[in-house]
Amino acid sequence: MLAANLSLQPIASKEDIMFKPIVYGSLLFTALGLVAGDTVKIALTGPFSGGSAPMGTSARDGSKLAVAEINAAGGIQVGAKKMKIEIIERDDEAKNERGALIAQELAAMSDLSGVIGTVNTGVALAGDKHLQEKGITKIICPAAGSASMTQWANKPDKPGVKDNSIFRFAAYDGIQAAMVVEEATNRKFTKVAVVFDSTNYGVSGRDDMLDQIKKQGNKLEVVAQEKFNIGDKDMTAQLLRAKSAGAQAILIWAIGPELAAVSNGAAKIGMKAPLIGGWTLSMSNYIDNAGKNGNGTLMPQTFIEEAITPKAKAFIDGYHQAFKVGRIPSAVAAAQGYDSLYILAAAIKQAGTTDTHKVKEALEDLKEPVKGVIATWNHPYTKWDPADVTTHEAFRREQVVMGMVKDGHVVFGNEADRARLKALANTATPAKLKTKKK
Amino acid sequence: MNAAIIGQMAVSGALMGLVYALIAYGFQLTYATSKSINFGQGELVMVSAFFSLTLTNLGLPYYLMVPGGLLFGALLGLVVERAGVRLALEQKSEGWILLSIIIGLFFFSAAENIWGRDDRPFPTPISADPIHVLGVDVTRQELAVAVGVLGIMGLVELFKRRTLLGKAFEAVSADRDAAELMGISATRTVMLSYALSGAVAAVAGILVSPITTVGPTMASALILKAFSVAVVAGLDSGFGVVLIGMFLGALESLSSYYLGSGWREAPGLLLLILALAVRPTGVFGKATIRKV
Repeated sequence: MLAANLSLQPIASKEDIMFKPIVYGSLLFTALGLVAGDTVKIALTGPFSGGSAPMGTSARDGSKLAVAEINAAGGIQVGAKKMKIEIIERDDEAKNERGALIAQELAAMSDLSGVIGTVNTGVALAGDKHLQEKGITKIICPAAGSASMTQWANKPDKPGVKDNSIFRFAAYDGIQAAMVVEEATNRKFTKVAVVFDSTNYGVSGRDDMLDQIKKQGNKLEVVAQEKFNIGDKDMTAQLLRAKSAGAQAILIWAIGPELAAVSNGAAKIGMKAPLIGGWTLSMSNYIDNAGKNGNGTLMPQTFIEEAITPKAKAFIDGYHQAFKVGRIPSAVAAAQGYDSLYILAAAIKQAGTTDTHKVKEALEDLKEPVKGVIATWNHPYTKWDPADVTTHEAFRREQVVMGMVKDGHVVFGNEADRARLKALANTATPAKLKTKKK
Repeated sequence: MNAAIIGQMAVSGALMGLVYALIAYGFQLTYATSKSINFGQGELVMVSAFFSLTLTNLGLPYYLMVPGGLLFGALLGLVVERAGVRLALEQKSEGWILLSIIIGLFFFSAAENIWGRDDRPFPTPISADPIHVLGVDVTRQELAVAVGVLGIMGLVELFKRRTLLGKAFEAVSADRDAAELMGISATRTVMLSYALSGAVAAVAGILVSPITTVGPTMASALILKAFSVAVVAGLDSGFGVVLIGMFLGALESLSSYYLGSGWREAPGLLLLILALAVRPTGVFGKATIRKV
């Protein structure tokens, strides 16, 4: 029955009618924990409070939406029986030490099939080693900082791990930084300021951007490098330095509230340079706090909250109805949470067991394409190679588009992308998927 | 270097410094009458800001929301006085220090539970568009902070000087025992000072929120600066806190420009140490002989 969800028919209106009661009903089921015993246990972690909460809650709720659909259809076919999914939720509050504790707790669970979550790169760095040690399968979603995967890879001074149970389902910073630099170059900017926060995420984002500027032939001159701390509200000093150095664009890596402070500060000193930066610029706490000063901000996105395909429409409407919102707090995180859960479910089905080690092996060699809301995932991961982190990275450049903030929403930054995604959805060959029905 | 940049940094810093000054002024009000300080003043700023945000979200226009927020702040001030300060003062103990911190923590938890931990925008009819004055960009919101801070402080000072109740306030500040002998109730005057202090905190919250957003931790940085200002200026000079507040604010933003944003707080803290070493009663404080 999983297959029935994966190959959603392009009749959106019919789904809309069906969707509401199913989702509500099964959310209730999950909440009550009625499904004891024969269940597949999947942990969802992330910051559900604090400055990163829009991403954490959206990713969690996206995953929950997928769980509700799967459970409503009877569950995952594991070997001979159908098993429902039971969710274990943990709020890491975006704190590294909380993340480490939660990872230890999850690592001690014997019957856990997998973990999906983590928004903050620092949390991944603090916690994932406990999971990796026990070989517990985890899909990082949506933390994008490069370090959370490269920590397992070969380094000049030390070889990487031979076997890795940590996967990622997010457009990692390497891709994003490349796109940010590309976009700035395409928009004919020559002088830029590189601005970042002092967290692991911000600093590694700066390194990625500087690296990309070099790789793309030094077409951009970095006239200022400015740093700020989490909680800073007044960015006038940093922005004035950037302005007086002649920056035409601000390439930025940080999270919501501080990003908003940068946009508002720039407007105050009459600085017209647009912000181009990590996908966090699509967080609701950036968009809301920056208001009209956020217009024109550009960031890589894996999903735009616009019903360009029937599948996207069903997902967006489903999310709005189930969680009673008019706008997904972080559409990217929600879509990734949704797709990553389907991918994990497909791996569990293929493994034919809830054993997390077998699930890992299945994940590295997914035979059947998984139709998600972002794309159809065809063999997203391969066997781990410490010399190449992309073996455990699902996203490639072509699945990512440039988004732009416009009047409180994220829209396509380049019209060509919308056309490309639409075409992609239309030409996707559903024939292969349909054979999946048992 | 560039005079325009120095001017810009100094002006933006000084305007923010006025918020420090206003919170510091809240300390002064209660210190004057009772020689006690509400260490949870920052939480009053924050809770009042959240309350005002709720009023706005309920559809109240700005000019009704402000008095509503003020009244709420005053009430909170009274709560602090009754629950944390009065008993301690009656027993001549320093228990109000711990009690006011605890009440502050309580407000903090309450705010987290009622309004959540996220930073939220605070809508205001005052535009955030910059205007250009003498080569410096300021927003109307920042100007509103200046007008609001100086306005409320002026009103409170007028009240203290021109009304009978205000005279009682001054009398208790000057000599509590003598004032009581003259038939002024010191307890009521202390209550009044806490209510005023709470209202002043609410004004600070309403003024600063559109610029910094509202969140449970919004005041934690402000309150430390306000303490510095109160200590450097002295605990009995309203004029002093304004000057020192603006000076500290300007110093902060200039040092974050010239030394780097990591050094933002450093000069202010040096100033604090220096003031404590050289003039423990504050730059504008009166040196008093403590009679034992």
